[in-house]
Amino acid sequence: MRANGILPAVAVIALYLLVPAALGHVDYVMSLIVAALTIGGIAVAWAMLGNLGGMVSFGHAAFFGVGAYVSALLTLDAGWPVFPAMLAGGAGAAIASVVTMPALRLRGPYFALSILAFAHIFRILATELESITRGAGGILSIPVLPTVAGFDLSSKIGSYYVILTIVLMAMAGYAWLRRSTVGLALLAMHDTEDATKVVGVPSTRLKAMMLALSAFITGVVGAFNAHQINFLDPDYAFSGLWTVLPIVAAIFGGYRTISGPLVGALVIYLVDQLVFKSFLPHGHEIILGALLVAMIVLSPTGLVPLVRQTVTLVRQTVTRGHHAAA
Amino acid sequence: MLQLEDISVAFGGLAALSNVNLRVDNGEFVGLVGPNGAGKTTVFNVISGLVKPTAGNARFIAMDLLKQPIHARARAGIARTFQIPQPLHELTVRQNLIVAQKFGTGHSDPKRIDEILDFLGLTERAERNAANDLALTEHKALEVGKALATDPKLLLLDEALAGLETTGKRQFTQMIKQLHEETGLAIVIIEHDIETISELCQRAVVLDFGKVIADETPERIFRDPEVMRSYTGERSA
Ligand SMILES: Nc1ncnc2c1ncn2[C@@H]1O[C@H](COP(=O)(O)OP(=O)(O)OP(=O)(O)O)[C@@H](O)[C@H]1O
Ligand SMILES: [Mg+2]
Repeated sequence: MRANGILPAVAVIALYLLVPAALGHVDYVMSLIVAALTIGGIAVAWAMLGNLGGMVSFGHAAFFGVGAYVSALLTLDAGWPVFPAMLAGGAGAAIASVVTMPALRLRGPYFALSILAFAHIFRILATELESITRGAGGILSIPVLPTVAGFDLSSKIGSYYVILTIVLMAMAGYAWLRRSTVGLALLAMHDTEDATKVVGVPSTRLKAMMLALSAFITGVVGAFNAHQINFLDPDYAFSGLWTVLPIVAAIFGGYRTISGPLVGALVIYLVDQLVFKSFLPHGHEIILGALLVAMIVLSPTGLVPLVRQTVTLVRQTVTRGHHAAA
Repeated sequence: MLQLEDISVAFGGLAALSNVNLRVDNGEFVGLVGPNGAGKTTVFNVISGLVKPTAGNARFIAMDLLKQPIHARARAGIARTFQIPQPLHELTVRQNLIVAQKFGTGHSDPKRIDEILDFLGLTERAERNAANDLALTEHKALEVGKALATDPKLLLLDEALAGLETTGKRQFTQMIKQLHEETGLAIVIIEHDIETISELCQRAVVLDFGKVIADETPERIFRDPEVMRSYTGERSA
């Protein structure tokens, strides 16, 4: 039991201190890790929606894109500082999720598909509303992340710290919510919605809240991405990859656990970019697909539960070995 | 406190309820009886909001009930149990009560939860998975527990006693009686057993084919041969 409390703390310290110390000077690897964390942030938000809200979304690209656009335009055209603008990007995505809320009445695949349609609508809006969004040509020279207390957050290590903090805060919020009474009610709603309603749970409102929260986190991540790469166009911001990669990462890592989506994103993205891409420059994504299938066959609940089971098994074997020796 | 006026419910072509009138006063204990398929559960579904009537009105205290969403009715003080127990899935027994209390009353009171667990004999089972690890009696008790945790003014019990063996049933009946005497809660119970109804209720309402065919004291009702014929499911052609 106690080891379970220590492990996350060790992981957090490693992520904040060890990773930059070991890899901080390798710009290429650092930028890959930042990209992996970006996917990881969306994956956490996506898994949170599925696990607590009971909703499978194929449209998180919509929230990513809205967050990116809102934040980019606020900094460029309204002179907002970057961090408040990023929060506003998240809020913009949450508001955009309100538009998709009629879809909450739909169940299962219908919800998933309708939210996919919304992602396309937002992409079209970003292209057509030229006077606001600058249309298909996109937005150049989006302001970079600021320098805070002499520390340049737009540097590779700086942006690593920013996205890492965003993702860990999302995970902490997720963990807290899951343990709260609201989280319990959300869990119970999956299989026993009527019974949950008759004890006073406003289930539609809670689902809407979960969708807005998931959209908010995704929007903040989208905003981060805009200020990190300083460029945006509709096809990029609303690309289906912002939906697909997080889903793959979450399922691979274990979408039912809190750390699974992040672990999945780091493993999938880094292995893909550092290993597969080098010997299969074109079509390396296909290996990702194969890996995912293999994981689903091997351990449907994903990598994190698989590792946990293995660790428990090894521990038991070791203990048994001690007993046998004694 | 509760008044149903000319409530009708149709499922497809089937008239499940026709012009049902039902009144429950403060602190009353009412039995709702009738043969299988008479529409008893449907009455509870209308009151708790799971079924929308095709016609009629309903008031609860000063509230136009039919305009309210399900959760708001629970908040206003209407609690129900399900004929087939529906524990909140993925939760422990205690968590079931915590959710019901938090959302049904708007606040948390762990002491009250302990009291309810104790009253229902569920203390030992509190940390068990509610959906998977309970016996039938315990499931029935948890149904009542969820309802009580919302601190209701009106409690609707749908065959809370059915399926229990004799001793269990007697204990449960006494428990419900005690609950009514101590709290002055208004209760409506759906129950087939005549003795139980006679022991618990001041008034019984008989439903047959979706219609109220009697609304009297239990003694009078169970003396009426016409009612008894429908009640036992015998029908003259
Ligand atoms: N959701 C529904 N959809 C369609 N028909 C329904 C629905 N609920 C109930 N019915 C039908 O309405 C009628 C009344 O059902 P109800 O469950 O209210 O009866 P009941 O008096 O509670 O019976 P029992 O004693 O068997 O519990 C039945 O014919 C039933 O099949
Ligand atoms: Mg019934």
